[in-house]
Amino acid sequence: MMRYLLRRLSHALFLLAGVSILAFLFTALAPGTYFDEMRLNPQIAPETVTALRAQYGFDKPLPVRYASWLRSVIHGEMGFSFAYNGPVAPLLLVRARNTLLLTITATLLAWGIALPLGVWSADRLGRLPDRLLSWATAGLLVIPDLAVALGLLVLAVRSGWFPTGGMASVDFETLSPFNKLRDLALHMILPVTALVLSSLPLLVRHVRAAMADVLNAPFLLAAVGHGIRKRTLLYRYALPAAANPLISLFGFSIGVLLSGSLLIEVVMSWPGLGPLLLEAVLARDLYVVVGGILGSTLFLVGGNLLADLLLYWADPRIRTESGAR
Amino acid sequence: MRVRRTFAKWLVVLGVLHGMVVCAGFFAPYDPVEQDRQSPYLPPMRLHLLDAHGHLHVRPFVYPLRLRESSFDQFEEDTTEPHPVKFFLRGAGYRLLGFLPLRMHFFGGENTRIYLLGTDAYGRDQFSRLLFGGQVSLFAGLLGAGVTLFIGWSIGAVAGYYGGWRDSLLMRVAELFLALPWLYLLFALRAFLPLAVSPLEAFFLITAVLGAVGWARPARLVRGVVLSAKERDFVRAARGFGASNGYLLRRHILPETSSVLVTQAAILIPQYVLAEMTLSFLGLGVPEPVPSWGNLLSGLQQYSVLVSYWWMYLPALAMVPFFLGYLGLASSFEERGAVYKIESRIWGM
Amino acid sequence: MPPLLKVENLVKCYARRSLVGRGEELLALNGVSFTVFPGTTLAVVGESGSGKSTLASCLACLESPTAGNIWFEGKDIVKVEERVRRQLRPQIQLIFQDPACSLNPRWSVLEILLEPLILRRKFTREEMKQCASSLLERVGLSPDFVERPPTELSGGQRQRLAIARALALQPKLLILDEALSALDGSVQAQIANLLRELQSSLGMTYLFVTHDLAMAVYLADEIAVMSRGRIVELGSAEQILDQPQHETTRQLLRALPRMTRALPAPEQ
Repeated sequence: MMRYLLRRLSHALFLLAGVSILAFLFTALAPGTYFDEMRLNPQIAPETVTALRAQYGFDKPLPVRYASWLRSVIHGEMGFSFAYNGPVAPLLLVRARNTLLLTITATLLAWGIALPLGVWSADRLGRLPDRLLSWATAGLLVIPDLAVALGLLVLAVRSGWFPTGGMASVDFETLSPFNKLRDLALHMILPVTALVLSSLPLLVRHVRAAMADVLNAPFLLAAVGHGIRKRTLLYRYALPAAANPLISLFGFSIGVLLSGSLLIEVVMSWPGLGPLLLEAVLARDLYVVVGGILGSTLFLVGGNLLADLLLYWADPRIRTESGAR
Repeated sequence: MRVRRTFAKWLVVLGVLHGMVVCAGFFAPYDPVEQDRQSPYLPPMRLHLLDAHGHLHVRPFVYPLRLRESSFDQFEEDTTEPHPVKFFLRGAGYRLLGFLPLRMHFFGGENTRIYLLGTDAYGRDQFSRLLFGGQVSLFAGLLGAGVTLFIGWSIGAVAGYYGGWRDSLLMRVAELFLALPWLYLLFALRAFLPLAVSPLEAFFLITAVLGAVGWARPARLVRGVVLSAKERDFVRAARGFGASNGYLLRRHILPETSSVLVTQAAILIPQYVLAEMTLSFLGLGVPEPVPSWGNLLSGLQQYSVLVSYWWMYLPALAMVPFFLGYLGLASSFEERGAVYKIESRIWGM
Repeated sequence: MPPLLKVENLVKCYARRSLVGRGEELLALNGVSFTVFPGTTLAVVGESGSGKSTLASCLACLESPTAGNIWFEGKDIVKVEERVRRQLRPQIQLIFQDPACSLNPRWSVLEILLEPLILRRKFTREEMKQCASSLLERVGLSPDFVERPPTELSGGQRQRLAIARALALQPKLLILDEALSALDGSVQAQIANLLRELQSSLGMTYLFVTHDLAMAVYLADEIAVMSRGRIVELGSAEQILDQPQHETTRQLLRALPRMTRALPAPEQ
């Protein structure tokens, strides 16, 4: 188990390093930098700009810049944000935490709904409830997440039931701990709903398909012959057998949710990695962009690592394959 | 053969939808950049058959809108005179398919302008902008998907056929591209390209970026197909007859990749259209005044627009029939069992 | 008469590469030698893993041996230049086990049949039809099969098609790699008879790789028994049947149902 974990971990580190190099390479192609924008500003003297450029090492060749950026990472700073005039890491941490909050909640909720729904649907395969559900998921599937997010926003605005953006009300600090939680939850409802709605149809259909495959298997028919109760059959016999594709789907769905969260955070003004990245892109705040990309990659890679470990634990075949070295 | 029929059916549906967008000049009553400063934010006009006096008209007609008394933004219908909708009338000039100069429009109003989907802040007809915007978004999606598939196909074929260090290297790079949530990757790429560009440049830029982002998954799929096809007996037999590598690839192996390519196309195209919409919505895509489904929605980022002008939301749903069509297409092409494998790759890379 | 095929100390080693640590080595052929005379049939019999399929691949030039010589009509096809080998290749053809896999299901019968010829030169439609007809007739298939897709043919018909295709190049040596194993009993007999007919009418030489000793005895003049990459016994069909020397041979014989022991000797 440990060796498998170590191998997957080193693989993940390799990916992160590769992505950071890739991100840095892109900067070499960038035709403009934060400083070029500054140059356009008549209030700032050109010498200041040149001095700043030299200070942040923009005159040095790319490998040197990458090396100093790496050093900055080790020091816990992850480069410097020109727009925010400070190290990148603290910015990232706060935003990353917010994004995680959203994504994890949405993942748990989405799977919490998709699993029973998919199992239920597979159990009634081909019959009316299943067909209705298929239609519903297809309908939801074809609505773009942009439309879902905007639609929810319109709903919030017109009904006035939910706050229409942000993460906290103006008077957040003055609230009691319980009310703080309540305020947070209220602010989370819309973005989480948007995320869940955009990923749910995919998950439900996949769970249904995986379960449908398993339910046809001979070993399950044999279990029916033994007279085991339906609920036990579904959840303790069939579902574990379908675990393999579902765990892979889990890893995949994390990527989906992360990408989706970028847009939804921006639309709903949720202070996560998404809006940060967008701002940085528009302002050409180089190190923030690199940091934002790495942050999202970290989550994706981490999520996939988790999925790999889950798979390892769930599927004995993988254990013997890697154990027999 | 039954698979073929449903596939053809969806192809026809998509063809009609795309056809309407391609012939936007004909189906749209007005020029998409033409402004009408007198009529900002007009709500959609309703088509009637029954007039205010209870008479049934043969032709559908509209009542022009006028401002309600003592109000800045409330509109009501002016029921004094019905204005019938005219079909096949002359209007603003346009170039069909980019080169055929025509003046005939499918429908329009005689003495009044017909705003089926309302107007925006500059009084531009949203319906016309929707159709023309579709040209930009759809075409970006199609072109981008084409680029991606071409890159992915080539790389996958090389990696699968030649194997060895080429395979390892290419697949490692593919893994890197897959390790990023794709929208972040899209942003990253877009970030490092010029921000303020002309609409045409923006269009090609986006297409190129889209193309460069998504090659990894099709490449892996094609590689898988090529790997297994390479070992098939009929390929070995052909080698025994003296066939060259090029012949084997061309005549035996690459034809096997066709089904993967078709399903990937049905998945990527809607995804890329959505990507263009997202980029344009956020200001990183096609800029004004050229309409795209994305930048038609960017007005909604303002609270006031969100609250008061619900029809500005409608372009968000423009994509839905197309999505349906592509979903139907992808589903009908593969066998039943594999259908959900495709769908897992739709709408989330 | 000089031998058509002479194999000397053939060795084939597969190295299984892995990213870390030593790769494992698989010795598929460990010094195989035998001779085949024109117009005769040599059967190579053995269990799975004995190396007989590897032998077939090496002889058909689909794999290159690690060491040893393969003399075909006096030329060493292992050592010779690519250009010369390409000229010799058409004379050695391989029939695969499963005709469902060895014929491209997307192609028509006509394309499949004439692929070996079309590779070399262009044909007119008329020429193709004529050529196809004569090839099909030779293997006992009706010429109007040309229009049908291969998926409509039965297993036996497909294997006939594969044989017809191989014959298109007029090879001197035909290697049959378990070519009858995927067929049903009576169909096996039919194809076997077809093969014998072709041998007598065309003077073909066969190398027949199989795990079925009974079939080997029926078809072959000489039998080579393989085990773990080596030939452990080599002799005529009667010798193997009546006086098996090696333990592997005896095991194979014991595995046969009693009835087939009393097979009539193949006609000359």
